[in-house]
Amino acid sequence: MAVPCFSEPPRIGGTLVWYFSICHREVWFMSHGIEPDREDDFLVMGRLIDENSYRRDRHSVSFGDNRFDIVKVEDGTLVVGEVKKSSRSIDAARLQLAHYLYDLWKDGIIAKGQLLFPKEKRRKEVELTEETRHRLDGVYEEIREIACMAAPPKAVKNRFCSVCAYSDLCWS
Amino acid sequence: MGKTIYIFSAGELKRKENTVVFEGEDGRKFLPVETTDELMIFGEVSLNKRFLEFCTVSHVPLHFFNHHGYYQGSYSPREFLNSGATILAQAACYLDHEKRVDIARRIVCGAMENMAVVLNYYRRRGNESLVSMLSNIESYKGKLDKSDSVAEIMGLEGNGREAYYSAFDHITGGGPFAFDVRSRRPPQNRMNALISFLNSMCYVTALSQIYRTHLDPRIGFLHETNFRRFSLNLDVAEIFKPILVDRIIFSLINKKVIQAKHFEDGPSGGIYLQESGRKIVVSAWEERLQQTIDHPRLKRKVSYRGLMRMEVHKLEKHILGDQTYEPHISGW
Ligand code: SF4
Repeated sequence: MAVPCFSEPPRIGGTLVWYFSICHREVWFMSHGIEPDREDDFLVMGRLIDENSYRRDRHSVSFGDNRFDIVKVEDGTLVVGEVKKSSRSIDAARLQLAHYLYDLWKDGIIAKGQLLFPKEKRRKEVELTEETRHRLDGVYEEIREIACMAAPPKAVKNRFCSVCAYSDLCWS
Repeated sequence: MGKTIYIFSAGELKRKENTVVFEGEDGRKFLPVETTDELMIFGEVSLNKRFLEFCTVSHVPLHFFNHHGYYQGSYSPREFLNSGATILAQAACYLDHEKRVDIARRIVCGAMENMAVVLNYYRRRGNESLVSMLSNIESYKGKLDKSDSVAEIMGLEGNGREAYYSAFDHITGGGPFAFDVRSRRPPQNRMNALISFLNSMCYVTALSQIYRTHLDPRIGFLHETNFRRFSLNLDVAEIFKPILVDRIIFSLINKKVIQAKHFEDGPSGGIYLQESGRKIVVSAWEERLQQTIDHPRLKRKVSYRGLMRMEVHKLEKHILGDQTYEPHISGW
């Protein structure tokens, strides 16, 4: 059955960019409003880490279609922080954060990015370069293409399936 | 996977800050709403709007049964998981004759295969009289491929079920649980009372699991959609009734756990399980739902309740054009 394609393009927020690096099937699900069951243990764990770390800074700030985990000012520069459970998918996290910086840049705001791994007591700086902007433009295009597919991309087992909130749906 | 809470006694359900308390004859009980999938209410219970609002935010559906254990209706949390694209695809599948017939056929085929699994189980234990019923079911199943309307498929389903039900007395030995014919409202004998009661448990459990997916329980494929009532849960239950409902019935009767004394006559005809009987049946039902099997694709253990959810996920994937639906066929 072909799922109707919506004429309105998907709103590309940080989560969608993150999913793009993890699994294209997730992008299709998300862009079709197919959210996983909120009971999922990993989601719950993610929320708990979110809520309990870095208490002093501003949390969960909405900006466009994005939600920044942390916003603070360091040495007069705006810093956007993204909290992750582990550095396992650091490239995906980098791209997500670069997307935030790009969205801010489009609004005339220059910011720096910090990836935070509270469990590993690590942080990683992320900067926006001409090259990442170019790469992101390509990613947005691909996300739109995935969202317009008549059916979800086929499930292919990958190393994220075991921690993915869609795994019940994919592997039932 | 959360718990199901059954309330048999009379009392009041209340929200107390962020928990639920039940105040009944035996005092106060706190219910862990965070880990609750659904509430099944058999007793005379009063509740208020504040409590219903709490059920909505906690995504806990309530299912109500009347004095005789008959399903009355549900209170469902609005928009638990909601995907417009999925509902459109579901409706499109329903409206496309070919696609609807295909799904209906798959469901009935799965139901018949599970009926055969159950009968074969008893045949292997020496009950040779079941052979003829098995071959009847097989022949109705064979006709499914040539049927091209939902009405025809429903007819075959009815025939298959009739053949299947005719095996029941051979399995239980008849006696106080003789089957006779299927009678629903009201059930005319103990076997019918058992089937009606457990079937409704199966429908309600399927409904709660559908709420945890993106499908709309009002749009069924085999069972006619009528937006005033649920039908997708009836479709899903078809697959599971033989392996859950009927297996429980046989085991309760053959082990003499359930007996004639657990039934009573209704005031306006019919025969019903009385409260003691209902409790026995419900606990057997719950125990069965919590039993697990190894799930080959998920690579972990899944309870029968979870398996129902997986079945809905499989239908969801079929509807989304992702993967063709193959019903769950029991292994033994
Ligand atoms: S379970 Fe695996 S295939 Fe399915 S969406 Fe998640 S990562 Fe992708």
